[in-house]
Amino acid sequence: MDTIDAILKAASNRAAEAEVYLSTGESVGAELSRDRVRIGQAGHSTGLGIRVFDDGRVGASSTNDPSRWEACLEAALAAMRLADPQPWEGLPAPVALPTDPLAFDAGVTLAPGTVAALLESMQAGAATHPEAAVTAGSAGLSHSKVEVANTHGLRYTDEETHASCSIEAIAGTSTGYEFASSHGLDLDPAWVGEQAAFFAAHGVGGEPLAPGTYDLVLSPLAVAELLEAVLIPALVGRNVHAGRSRLAGRVGERIADERLSLYDDPHRPMGPGAAWFDAEGVPTRRLDLIRDGVLAGFAYDLRTAYRYGAATTGSAVRGGYGGAPSIGFHTLVLEGPVTDVMADPAVYVRSVVGAHTANTITGDFSVEVSNPSMVEGGAFTTPVRTAMWGGNVFDLLSAIEGVSAGTRNIGEMVLPALRVAGQPLVG
Amino acid sequence: MYRYYDIRHVAGEATNVDIDNGVVESATTSFFDRAVVRVLGPSGWGVVSVDNYRDTDLDRLVAEALALAGLTGEAVELAEAPHRVLPVPAPSDDPRQYGLEEKTRLLAGVEEAAKGPGVRNTRAVYTERHEAVRFASSEGVEYAYELGRSGYSILAVAEQDGVVQMGYERRHAVNGFPLGSGAACGRKARETAIALLGAKAAKGGRKRVVLDPELAGVFAHEAVGHASEGDLIREGNSVLAGRIGERIGGPGLTIVDDPSLPEFGFDPVDAEGVATRRTELVRDGVINAYMHSRETLASVGNGLAGHARGMPGEVPLVRMSNTFIENGDSSYDECLAECGTGILLIGSRGGQVDPGRGMFQFNAEFGYLIEDGALGGMVRDVSLSGEILGTLHEIALIADDRHMHQGYCGKGGQSVPVGDGAPHILLSNAVVGGSGHD
Repeated sequence: MDTIDAILKAASNRAAEAEVYLSTGESVGAELSRDRVRIGQAGHSTGLGIRVFDDGRVGASSTNDPSRWEACLEAALAAMRLADPQPWEGLPAPVALPTDPLAFDAGVTLAPGTVAALLESMQAGAATHPEAAVTAGSAGLSHSKVEVANTHGLRYTDEETHASCSIEAIAGTSTGYEFASSHGLDLDPAWVGEQAAFFAAHGVGGEPLAPGTYDLVLSPLAVAELLEAVLIPALVGRNVHAGRSRLAGRVGERIADERLSLYDDPHRPMGPGAAWFDAEGVPTRRLDLIRDGVLAGFAYDLRTAYRYGAATTGSAVRGGYGGAPSIGFHTLVLEGPVTDVMADPAVYVRSVVGAHTANTITGDFSVEVSNPSMVEGGAFTTPVRTAMWGGNVFDLLSAIEGVSAGTRNIGEMVLPALRVAGQPLVG
Repeated sequence: MYRYYDIRHVAGEATNVDIDNGVVESATTSFFDRAVVRVLGPSGWGVVSVDNYRDTDLDRLVAEALALAGLTGEAVELAEAPHRVLPVPAPSDDPRQYGLEEKTRLLAGVEEAAKGPGVRNTRAVYTERHEAVRFASSEGVEYAYELGRSGYSILAVAEQDGVVQMGYERRHAVNGFPLGSGAACGRKARETAIALLGAKAAKGGRKRVVLDPELAGVFAHEAVGHASEGDLIREGNSVLAGRIGERIGGPGLTIVDDPSLPEFGFDPVDAEGVATRRTELVRDGVINAYMHSRETLASVGNGLAGHARGMPGEVPLVRMSNTFIENGDSSYDECLAECGTGILLIGSRGGQVDPGRGMFQFNAEFGYLIEDGALGGMVRDVSLSGEILGTLHEIALIADDRHMHQGYCGKGGQSVPVGDGAPHILLSNAVVGGSGHD
């Protein structure tokens, strides 16, 4: 009997239901300091999470020493006894799911030479803007395996590979940063290096900006920062029902430009969080959140769905083996009217400093723009020295004039650049 | 062959209680065991992170790390630095003497105190973490210590006529149990949320600003602390690089990082076995020293090692610990009077900095307009941004009422506990951001 079976057998005598989550991972990576590799790294990780359920009570515990599973199970049972009972209708039973992994590329082997090659390509890309110097960079490859099992006989396995690289550059006091991340080796490290160096070099000698109202082009990175701070939490069922979302009670209402849609697409091959099942073993599916500007729904895990009479949307995710699953997204796709966002004059917002300080409920934010620049005719023109931007994330959804044709994977999202009208900037 | 190796092994337990709108969602204890082995090869570092470490694994991990060091080309040297382990302060009130049920009951009391008319949601979270840390190096340095941290946060969300606002309070301590006296925090979160319903959005622009001790501490952390980290200095990614001895602020301005203080960022010894000591980053308005690891001290100079910190199993980085502005000779009342017309900013919702560019930004929980030296109406969603090299010259007054606050600071994917603090300070010219209009 393996560890998972042993835990489930022991737990089934002490609780009505139990769930085991076991993850293992291997990684290799390296970091640049200025123009040289300073550190070569490897990691070996193991994590075990146990949840037990009885009479509407749930308890959880975790450890990264699976040989200590008995102590972990005792802690989960103790936690279960302390929790308040809530409506609960059971963990999922197994169903037939496709077994071909959605986020796995056998070509990603944990070879230190591949890591070194990624760093070298980024450096070569950065060298196309010699006025910028690389300050730091990193590259990494990883392979992870996750198993979810429960006392109803469910036992799913998923394997995932990951490759990533990032680099920072500086010219004078103008900084640039770029990164790429994928489940396969389709990264373009030379582009990553070139972009970081370009933004550093371009920002030198930025001009002051007159306070006023401007059209903005938000890079996919800036879009991700603002959505993650405000909109994403507002779409999480638990926040909605707990009174922490401004979107509560507004399903069916227009909340965005009618050409804008946002949906979770977990089966998109090589999508950032692509998976056939969620962290609780529930089959994943497409989930419409905003459809043609209208709020279409929220994301649920089992616990929140049972409590509020909704259905799980297969949206349970885990940040790791620790704690309990929470509600999240797999591959969130934002779509809108494709235009040439850089054609007309605008201020380009590469990323924002301080998005995490936004008011998560009202959506109000006040951020410093990183790498601000005027753009026109598809090109970067005059760099801007500093720009502070105050606005509201929910209001932005209706101020969208168009999105770029190209998209980028940022975190769990697939995002275009956005053009928004009439935003206040202070230089 | 290696030139140096060390191993840092951290094992322990973490307790978490989460009460959401009166429902105990979870009250649980988890276990962790992680280690990081660092080896200095002919040039740079090889590092292996591993879960569930056993001493018998060491030789194998050192060999693996040495092979990884073969990837490197940077010539890393380590400066000599004193080794010392400070005694861990005895717990004022040891959380381990309370059972999980008692902690859950106390947290429920905090949450209950945050409820009231107009409050539509409350959430209280308790966290407690005990770490047993062991360190050994090829230089024969060995140490072991145990340290606990615990604390809680309370969020109250209020609503009236479609306006939603929140009040948030948190208290954390090293080797203490702030939850034992938490009800007042619950009430304060409720009162802030209710009061903010009537607050106006702040109007952006250049203003005279008074910062409260918590926010002035974040100001020191963002505006000076990060840019004084030795690794950023070495990489050329800080506007403070090469500026030791230059004046950055007025006389009387001293900014310190001190991991040896028994505040929330306390370290009895740093993550590479070096004694933790007070580093004066700015002394009397002049850039005085950087924070260092042994490696960055060797390559940059000007400052003290003893500032290497890492999460369990992670490579130590140069980090802040307890960062603060020393008391001045003014007072809160004088700051308000001298401000005349401006804004008082209170509490922190976090901040961020680009040290290479020299720009920082942070947000207050709320504020009050100052009119003729007296407090006026309440304002919400207000932020402050500035340039590291210019902003400290704008400090016009420093009061004498320093307080330390607890928080967590992120860098390189690692989050470590920090204390930030300051007395009230007056900035004569600051860029305030807000979405309000006339």
